[in-house]
Amino acid sequence: MRDVYIIGTGIHPWMGFSEKVFSDFAAVAVNGALKDADIEWNKIQTIMAGIFIYGGNAGHLSGQYLESIFGETGVPVVNVYNACATGSAAIRMAYNSVAAGETDTALAFGADVSPKGFLTAKSDNAVQDRDVIRWKMTGMPNPVYWALECRKRMAKYDTTEQDLALVKVLMSEYGSKNPDARFKKAYTLDEVLNSVYVCEPLRLYEICPVSTGAAAVIVTADKELISKADKTVKINATTMGSSMYGDPTIRISAVSCPAVPEASMLSESYSASHQAYEKSGIGPEDVDVLELPDNSSWHYLVYLEVCGFCKEGEADKMLRDGETKIDGKLPVNPSGGFSSHGEALSAQAIWQVIECANQLRGRCGERQVKEPKVAMAQTYGLMGNSGTTIISI
Amino acid sequence: MGNMTNMVARIPNLVDWSTGEVRLMSAKCNSCGTYFFPKEHYQHRPGCSREGVEDALLPSKGKLASYTIQHYPCPPPFKTEKNITPYGIGLVEFENEKIQVAGIITDTDLKSLKLGMEMETTTLTMFTNEEKQEVVTWAFRAVK
Repeated sequence: MRDVYIIGTGIHPWMGFSEKVFSDFAAVAVNGALKDADIEWNKIQTIMAGIFIYGGNAGHLSGQYLESIFGETGVPVVNVYNACATGSAAIRMAYNSVAAGETDTALAFGADVSPKGFLTAKSDNAVQDRDVIRWKMTGMPNPVYWALECRKRMAKYDTTEQDLALVKVLMSEYGSKNPDARFKKAYTLDEVLNSVYVCEPLRLYEICPVSTGAAAVIVTADKELISKADKTVKINATTMGSSMYGDPTIRISAVSCPAVPEASMLSESYSASHQAYEKSGIGPEDVDVLELPDNSSWHYLVYLEVCGFCKEGEADKMLRDGETKIDGKLPVNPSGGFSSHGEALSAQAIWQVIECANQLRGRCGERQVKEPKVAMAQTYGLMGNSGTTIISI
Repeated sequence: MGNMTNMVARIPNLVDWSTGEVRLMSAKCNSCGTYFFPKEHYQHRPGCSREGVEDALLPSKGKLASYTIQHYPCPPPFKTEKNITPYGIGLVEFENEKIQVAGIITDTDLKSLKLGMEMETTTLTMFTNEEKQEVVTWAFRAVK
C-alpha cells in the first residue's frame, strides 16, 4: 500500500434549512478543495460520494450530480451510505483506491440539506424496516436512545447534570470561534442548566439538531501534486467498524438490547478506533487533537472511554480537570463539535477530518491547538456504523 | 389497559394478550441462546448454526434498567388520540432472557420511577380505528 496524503479540503459552512439544493452546497465544498489543492478538476480520477438520503434519485446518485456540475470525465463514481458515518466510508474508499494504486488522486465528498424538523421513518413496512416499529409503537426519536444510556451512566458513575452542561459550555465557546459553525453563541453553565429538558436527563442545549452542510477532501499519492500543496497531511489509517455481538448499547432504531455485556459499548466505534490504532501504530496517547461525535453530552464522555483515551467512568474527571480543553492534555472538539454544527449526515465525518487537517496545518485561528502533530477524527452512525481517521503532519 | 376483546395491535406479532396476561412476543435461538425482540431482529452469536429458532413469550414482569421522560411530541407516524407528552420511556430488563426492551411507561407516576423497580408489561391504547377497535402498543407500568 502507498502512502496517501490530503492535499485539499473544502467546506460549505453549516446552517439550518435551505431552499437551495444539496448539489449547490456540494459544489461549493468541492470547489474549495480543488482550490486548496491548487489542481484542475480533470486530475480527479475517482469520486466517492456520500448519499443524501432525503434527496430522492438525485440524492442517491449524488456523485453523478456533482460530476455533471464540474464536467463528466467518465471516472469511477461510487455512492455510499453508512448513516452518520457515510463520510467515513467515502474517505476510506478514496484512501483505499489511492493506496492500492488503482488511482493516484481521489475526491470524497458529502452534502446534506436539513430535512426541516425531526428525522422520522422512511418507510411504512414494519416487517422489512424495523425502524418503523420504534416510531409507531414506542415514540422514540433519536435523543431518547442517548437519554436511556445517559441515565445508566449517571447511575453507574458519578456523572452529574453539571458535567453534561459543562460539555456544552466548552463546545459553545469553541463554536463561537469557528466561522464555519452554525451556532456561534457561547453559553454559561447556568444558561445550559436552565434550558428545557428534551428527554431527561438531556436538555435542549445538550443534544445536536440536524443541519445543512457540505465537505470535500482530495487525497493523492501523486508526488507532483503533493509537492505543490500547502502543508500536506498524511493519512495514517482510515477505518470503519460495525457492531459486535453482546454490545449492551441500545442502538438507535432497535427496541431491545442485550442485558449482559459481552462487548464494548458502542462496539462499532470501539472496533473502528482500535483497528485504526493497530493499522497506524499510533495509540490514543499519541493523539494531539481529537474530534469526536458529540451528538449529545453523553457521547462526549462515553467516546473518550470507548476509544481508549481513559478508562471507563473516568471521562467526567478528564472534563472537570480541563484536560479536554484546547490548552489541555487532550484537546477535544476545538471545532465546537456537533453541538455547534448539528448533523449533516453525509458531510459530517468529512468535516471532522477537515477540522483535524486544518489543526495540523495551523489554520484554525482563535481555536488553534498548539502545534499538533497527530489528529484523530471519530464518527458514529446509527445501527452499527462508525469510522476513524488518524492523520499526521 | 383497554378492553382485551376489542383491541388490535398497531403492528402485529409484537405483543400478545391471548392468555389474559400481556407479554412481548420474542424468539429464542436454541443454538446460541439469544433472545430477539422483535422476533425478526436476529442477533445470533457469530458462528451460531442458527438452527432451532422458536417463538418465546417474555415474562410479564421485569426490572427497570433505564428510563427517560420525553418532553416533546414524537413526530408521525407516532400517533395518539390525545397528546400524551410528557411521557416516560422505560428500558425493562428480563433477567433470565438476558434482554432489555424499550417501551412507553403508562399508568405510573413518572416522579416515582427508580432504576431497579419492578415493572409489568401492559397495553396502551393509542387511538380508535374506523372499526371502533382500540389500537394498542405494548407499554410498561410499575407493579403495584
